[in-house]
Amino acid sequence: MMIGSVLAAVFRRDWTMMKRYIVNSVSSLVSVYMIFILIFAGLQSVSGYVKTGALDGSLEGTIIGFFVWTFTIYAFSNLAWNLISEAQTGTLEQLYLAPCGFKWVGACTIISDFVFSFVPIMLLLIAMMATTGRWLRVDLVSLIPLLVITLLGAYGVGFALGGLALVFKRIQALFQIMQFVFVGLLVIPTRVPGVKYLPLALGNDLIYRTMVQGVRLWRLPIGDILTAVAVGAAYLAAGILVFAWCERVAKNRGLLGHY
Amino acid sequence: MLMAASSIGVWKSWEVQRLNPREGGGAATILFGGAPVLSTSDGALQVQSMTKVFRDRGGAMVRAVDGVSFEVKRGEVLGLLGPNGAGKTTSIKCILGLMRPDSGQITLLGQDVQAAYPRILQKMSAVLEGSRNLYWRMSVWENVSFFAALHGVRSSEDQKYFGHLLKLFGLEEKRHTEVRKLSQGMKQKASVVCALARRTPLVFLDEPTLGLDVETSLELRSVLKQLAREEERTFVVSSHDMDVIQDVCGRVVIMSSGRVVVDDKVSHLMSLFRTRAYRIGLRGPASQALEERLAQAFAGVQVAYGDGDADSEVRVSLSEDGDIYRLMDILRSADAVIDEITHEEVDLEKVYLEIVREERARS
Repeated sequence: MMIGSVLAAVFRRDWTMMKRYIVNSVSSLVSVYMIFILIFAGLQSVSGYVKTGALDGSLEGTIIGFFVWTFTIYAFSNLAWNLISEAQTGTLEQLYLAPCGFKWVGACTIISDFVFSFVPIMLLLIAMMATTGRWLRVDLVSLIPLLVITLLGAYGVGFALGGLALVFKRIQALFQIMQFVFVGLLVIPTRVPGVKYLPLALGNDLIYRTMVQGVRLWRLPIGDILTAVAVGAAYLAAGILVFAWCERVAKNRGLLGHY
Repeated sequence: MLMAASSIGVWKSWEVQRLNPREGGGAATILFGGAPVLSTSDGALQVQSMTKVFRDRGGAMVRAVDGVSFEVKRGEVLGLLGPNGAGKTTSIKCILGLMRPDSGQITLLGQDVQAAYPRILQKMSAVLEGSRNLYWRMSVWENVSFFAALHGVRSSEDQKYFGHLLKLFGLEEKRHTEVRKLSQGMKQKASVVCALARRTPLVFLDEPTLGLDVETSLELRSVLKQLAREEERTFVVSSHDMDVIQDVCGRVVIMSSGRVVVDDKVSHLMSLFRTRAYRIGLRGPASQALEERLAQAFAGVQVAYGDGDADSEVRVSLSEDGDIYRLMDILRSADAVIDEITHEEVDLEKVYLEIVREERARS
């Protein structure tokens, strides 16, 4: 009951904020699209693609890699940036006064972020497909669960960075670095030993199979799905543990409301 | 170990006893005429031996809250006073669970706060950083609805109550205005409304009148008194604004250097100081020698000189019963002619300043 109330409240808040910051919301999406255009133009000017796993020498791979990367960046940065921003503005302590506990407010915020970033990023996907002229299969029944599984690791990273931000405050440099790390995770081929145990890699591969080869969720190898779920859950759990440790340190040192 | 409050131990109606918990003595206990006050059954909040230690940049230990104990009764409005760094905000944040106390026990409406955390937050809310507690790009109503919903307060009846609060605080016409477009006073009032809208039995207001002009501060005080009276909620108000505390609070806890130095009813405190503060009018100017003797005998004595042969005035706070006789002896031996002796008017600010100065002098 309480969680439902919190989820509804968070949805209303985020919807309101999205409307109030509509210029920022649209411009960030346009910026991402512009980056894609630059990459696309760069790729066209090079004779033959670099042979990489996710890209796999195909334009489809580039689109999917960029699509998943955008989702990943939105997921981890929204979570971590929100924490920093709330600490900066002074509302973080008020969120910590929620009787359900901050972890549930955080969970509701993640769900809300996913929902509110889903439509804009799908529009971005359509724009990318229109720009390249390569139309992929967008089977939402298969795609949404796979996106969620893939993003679990990104949320884990978001929790860990958010926790570090609570204690160390200024960690923006790490954010920049993580964006490039995520690119690396998306382009390393899953056939490389051990790569499928890294965040994003296997999930991205499954999404590729769904969107390019048209394999539906229930036709994918169950072992791969379970591995992707386990890897995502492990990174999420690790991120939450880091966050909990940092939160404890912040409460001990009285840093929660400071920035 | 004597509690710091022993500096006011000369007040006859007080008996102050402190057992240092680190020496195995258990909780600090403040006694009024011998009766313990920390075990009443109608207590909304009991804080016992709460300690919070930080390390500064050099690694040295700083006892921000040092064995603090106090109780707030249901429906009471308690003032928390103290200079900067006294430990007021740290105490409030420890109670709210936003900081982790190193030791001590906090009980809210019969429940151990640490054991029942975070569910226990259903029973308390707070304004901690005034207008910074709000989303400035959201309207007043959106903020109120959001923060109340975090507490599960969102029924249609609750929404009527939000409307009632906004009306009470003069924000009704601004309900759909974004917070960033409001004046500082309105932002501050909106943040108080957000805390009250959660309908918790205990509300902490940390510096609720900070940055407010006199008129808005008066409005806020009036509303708080009305709410305390009508809704029988318990308030803990931390403020530097003595007028707010004197006007709104029934009882005051004064903190200094992380410890509670006074815990008493405001009216009682005022009457105690009223009987201690004297103004003695002297005919003609007071001599330098007289001033020096007075300064030796009574800490904080003030001698005001008139121009030329004009009359002078001695202002002094006496602490012992026999002090008045000693004062008279000094004046007589200096051949001073007393025109009048009056009790000086006191307000909470003077009381507070004297307590804090005495406490600083002691430590």
